[in-house]
Amino acid sequence: MPASCDIAFTLNGVKRELNVPAGMSALEMLRDKLGLTGTKYGCGEGECGACTILVDGRSMNSCLLFAADCDGRELVTIEGVATTPRGERLRDAFVANGAVQCGFCTPGLMVQASNLIERQPGAGEAEIRRGIEGNLCRCTGYRKIIDAIASAAGAAGAPAKEGSHGRG
Amino acid sequence: MGAVDGKPGPDPKPENRGLTPPVPTLIGKRIPKLDAPDKASGKTRYIHDLEVPGALHARILRSTQVHARIVSIDTSAAKALPGVHAVITAADVPWQRPIGVAKDHLPLKTDRVRSLRDEVAAVAADTEEIAEAALKLIRVQYEPLPVVATPDQALAPGAPLIHPEPHGADASSPQLKSAGAPVAFAGKPDNIAMTFEYAQGDVAKGEAESDFVVEDVFKLHYVTHCCMGVSGVIAEFDPNGNLLLYSNTQVPFLHKREFAELLGIDPARIRIIQPPIGGGFGSKLDIYPFEPIVIFLAKITRRPVKMVFTREEEFLASPTRQPVLLKLRSGCRKDGTLTFRTVETVHDNGAYTSWGATTPFVMMQTISSLYRVPHCKYLTRAVYTNNPYAGSFRGYGNLQATFAVEAHMDKLAEAVGMDGLAFRLRNAQEPGEVTPQGMHFKSCGFKDCLSTAAARSDFLQKQAENRARWKDANPVKRGVGIASMLHVGGGAKIYPSDGCGTILKIDDFAHVTLMTGASEIGQGSETVLSQLVCEELGLPLSAVTVVNNDTDITPWDVGVHASRTTFIAGNSAIGAARKAKAKILSAAAAKTGLAEDALDLRGGCIVRKDTGEKLFELGKFLRGLHFSDRAELVMTTFYYEPPSKHQDKEFRGDVSAAYAWATQVCEIEVDTQTGIVRLLKVTGAHDVGRVLNRLGIEGQIEGGIVMGQGYALTEDLMVEGGVVKNPNFRDYKLVTAPEIPEMDVTFIETMDGEGPQGAKGVGEAPAICIAAAVANAIYNATGTRIYALPFTPENVYRALHGAAKAPAWSAAG
Amino acid sequence: MGALETFRAPRSLDEAAEILRTGNVTVLAGGTDVMPQSRIGKLKLQPVLMSLRRVPELRGIREEGGVVRLGALVTISELLESALVRERLNVLWQACDHFASDQIRNAATLGGNLCNASPAGDTLVPLLALDARAVLASKPNGKVLERRVPLAEFFTGPGRTARTGAELLAAVEVPLPPKDAVGEFYKHGTRPGLDIAAIAIAFTARREGKVLRSVRVAFGAVAPTPIRAPRTEAALEGRAPDEQTLEAAASAALGEVRPISDVRASDWYRRELIHNMLKRVITHACKL
Repeated sequence: MPASCDIAFTLNGVKRELNVPAGMSALEMLRDKLGLTGTKYGCGEGECGACTILVDGRSMNSCLLFAADCDGRELVTIEGVATTPRGERLRDAFVANGAVQCGFCTPGLMVQASNLIERQPGAGEAEIRRGIEGNLCRCTGYRKIIDAIASAAGAAGAPAKEGSHGRG
Repeated sequence: MGAVDGKPGPDPKPENRGLTPPVPTLIGKRIPKLDAPDKASGKTRYIHDLEVPGALHARILRSTQVHARIVSIDTSAAKALPGVHAVITAADVPWQRPIGVAKDHLPLKTDRVRSLRDEVAAVAADTEEIAEAALKLIRVQYEPLPVVATPDQALAPGAPLIHPEPHGADASSPQLKSAGAPVAFAGKPDNIAMTFEYAQGDVAKGEAESDFVVEDVFKLHYVTHCCMGVSGVIAEFDPNGNLLLYSNTQVPFLHKREFAELLGIDPARIRIIQPPIGGGFGSKLDIYPFEPIVIFLAKITRRPVKMVFTREEEFLASPTRQPVLLKLRSGCRKDGTLTFRTVETVHDNGAYTSWGATTPFVMMQTISSLYRVPHCKYLTRAVYTNNPYAGSFRGYGNLQATFAVEAHMDKLAEAVGMDGLAFRLRNAQEPGEVTPQGMHFKSCGFKDCLSTAAARSDFLQKQAENRARWKDANPVKRGVGIASMLHVGGGAKIYPSDGCGTILKIDDFAHVTLMTGASEIGQGSETVLSQLVCEELGLPLSAVTVVNNDTDITPWDVGVHASRTTFIAGNSAIGAARKAKAKILSAAAAKTGLAEDALDLRGGCIVRKDTGEKLFELGKFLRGLHFSDRAELVMTTFYYEPPSKHQDKEFRGDVSAAYAWATQVCEIEVDTQTGIVRLLKVTGAHDVGRVLNRLGIEGQIEGGIVMGQGYALTEDLMVEGGVVKNPNFRDYKLVTAPEIPEMDVTFIETMDGEGPQGAKGVGEAPAICIAAAVANAIYNATGTRIYALPFTPENVYRALHGAAKAPAWSAAG
Repeated sequence: MGALETFRAPRSLDEAAEILRTGNVTVLAGGTDVMPQSRIGKLKLQPVLMSLRRVPELRGIREEGGVVRLGALVTISELLESALVRERLNVLWQACDHFASDQIRNAATLGGNLCNASPAGDTLVPLLALDARAVLASKPNGKVLERRVPLAEFFTGPGRTARTGAELLAAVEVPLPPKDAVGEFYKHGTRPGLDIAAIAIAFTARREGKVLRSVRVAFGAVAPTPIRAPRTEAALEGRAPDEQTLEAAASAALGEVRPISDVRASDWYRRELIHNMLKRVITHACKL
């Protein structure tokens, strides 16, 4: 049997201790061990972004992360993001802008968008498009998702930061 | 107005005119989706998120051979693995019956495998990991058979047959055979799965009258749905043998019956619950082997059994859009009038028959009726190969047909010396027309679509400018292309009924529960149906709960397909709401002594229609009705059946109650040194009848445009020798956010007389003409016409540099 | 995965090198390659899976004596956010900008990208053009030792490097290019990120009047490893990048690449792209 290991980490602001198999992914840990099903399996190889979570304040694909490697780290999932003021603003913007259809990619996009707005408060169209290039959506054609993020970013009222690296 | 039991006609609220204050309306507003807050918070539970206590997990062993005889299967080691509850092969379910459109497909394969996806054995175990480990312990011995990799090979004389023998429960199971059961599938003497033939007029006469004739062969490739939520199912039997299925199907009521036939039980004993679906696009219109297999496992283990695909499995074992080789011959007169079209196609059916084989049914509508063509002849053959098999996919063959037809519209226009817009306008259908195929265009905004899209995109001027730059030194060229489409927009009468039922109840607090047979697959049906009901009942959207996912509760519906839900389920919901309204107003009339038609429902109240004066708060009035001597509840039902017709054996008839039209202009950039084509802008004009939910319809159009972009430019399921070479998102490329074009969409409102509030269905429309318009744009940019999709960089580069093989009509002919 | 027995997370280079010395270790950095490759069986996990995340010596970007040391654990995002990388190693910065997606850039490390040694690896091509060297650490006799291997010798085949099982890639050292150096990275694909290169080109040089000096050209995805292209460089060195020189360089390049056909491109198309895009890359870098 593959060995397991004890890990301790912070999940959505709450300290957790857990025993996980050494080969388990963070995605499997969240969904199967902890019942946090907002984080989705879309491809298992980092190509679709449906499993995006925040790790130490950075967005990552939880399917590519070993659960064991979460020891000592701070994880935030969609369930955590959704309850922050920024998450609520984004949720309202996604709803109002029609950025949700089947909704399967939406949690990953919400988490990615939250991280994008936090790190690039003045993000414009080009930055937003590049910022979500790792999130596939098959329903919306992205237009309304980009609009939603732009509107939530605008609502944050933060001025564009000078010197932040503008991509694209 | 207010037809209580008749058909609900459009209600553009003429009573609004001259009234102060105007009656508020929800129609045309931007209404957020009712399910969006949950979805955006990660709270929505898809099938992957459902845990049924005590459920086992299933995995399927698929063939490692493209075409082979199964010599032996040894499951003993897998059965011995701790945690394994069942390992089954075809031998364990001798009563299994074939599935699919032609019933040529046994869920678990008996004596032979016909494609790499083929299901050979299945395991149910305590965990997915154990099930996966058990699969590795199953030993299968194969004896390879010659691989039929293309329709050409399949049609060649002496080609190996894909379905030589009868198969089905009865043929392979002596018990059932002796019981006298009919052979389920008789086998095929050749590799032709299905043919369609259609003719109108006399093409020889049409050709004789032509001043210009063009003929080309077009090749359309494999793509697949790529729903973000992979396929899954949960099956559970109760002790009485009733089956509960949690399924992602788009057609629960049809499948209830099919599963019953499959199991040899009464359909009444099957209940299907649909958790929210992570994308459909036509992929869930058929039963696929994993579903019966999971049911078999649940039956055998007497435990709930759950199975969810991996992404790789989703690529390998879910259906594709049908690849087509299409030969088109078209002609016109000097004045630009179309004279005839002759079309022959070969569809790669894959190893089994699903809905893909029937897409020629839709293709022929575009060929015969998008433009006025007096003479048409059309022959298609769907041919068995050892490739993945094709299902239905948004547009249902129409992308392929439109690609060819619109290329010829450009070529003929150029031959005649007319511009592409004038040429199309000359041949475009008009309202009131009944085509030779029998389609009746009661509302038709086609010419408006053409003119609007061309004007808004400055099509003619840009086309001329781009063409003048063919010889420029700049290796990056600009192009603009136009294409149009016709698609069913008022259902499609294919089954005995194309209807939808609604049950509506209004509780003591004026809260409405809308029970509809129509499923939500992300397209926003819940929201638009609530909106239509609230419009009738003068209630806010917060007053409605929609129940739409349980066959034990909801009334019958034929399914989410054919762009039909807004139209059919919408008319059904309106019908139920109008009955409820009539009942309420009748009671209110009795109470007030006013005439029924002097009353109305607005803002949660019963009001005087002329002044808007509030007479009763609706909840209070309903309580009064309930807790009175009359003791009445307001509950109504309505079943809407569109006034469309089944086509006759010659494929003539008005198959839909309304038709949607659209024109899209695509602007592109082609880098001639790399072959990269960028889609810069799409200007679309869509005849949608009427905009109901502006936010929702924009989302449908934008999503469809980008899906069309993927079909044209990036997506390519590479199948070589029956092997899918790129079963992953790394190499099967969906369009990503940085690549999307600017989109300018205009809605042409033709107020369809039969549509709910005048609306027509548009779910499929926006995906249909992008590839055709991009092909025309590439020609406008470079002077090179490319006849094969997709326009991936290498394909385009080869075509531009004379290194591409043009599609040829070969042995298949 | 049956072979996996322990997950280790050492807190120093010394400890990590010691674990490595005992053998049977899979080294884990960002995980963006190890996880999917182990799931599909392309990479067999050893009994010990060792995460380097807590090894401080492997972190950080710093410049000392004209050499930039990029720690093996530096993520692609950290490279993108480094002013030093953006201003002085811009060709590497451009490659990072085209690297997968934000989520992957946040997790993936420079060391992981190099050790994965994909012929199409995004950072490999610019680092080759920048004359970078790999710093390999091991603990053969109770003491951590470092050795340096020029990157051009580091890649030995698809997925193979000169790193031994007992060694750890600790850092990459890049000699600081002169301030007036120009550089350009090209990755062929239809989208900015999330694409695996069908071909990649990195070009760096100095302009001395009209002519090019210190020309470096590297190619990705056209041979079993990313390669330097010495004959292409020679065709450009000391010459003005005019049409004739560019054509000569492109022809030389075709003699140096050995592409294969796969799902991303045919060998023929890859050669066409090398020819066409090398000329464009140089033209663009020199703002001709």
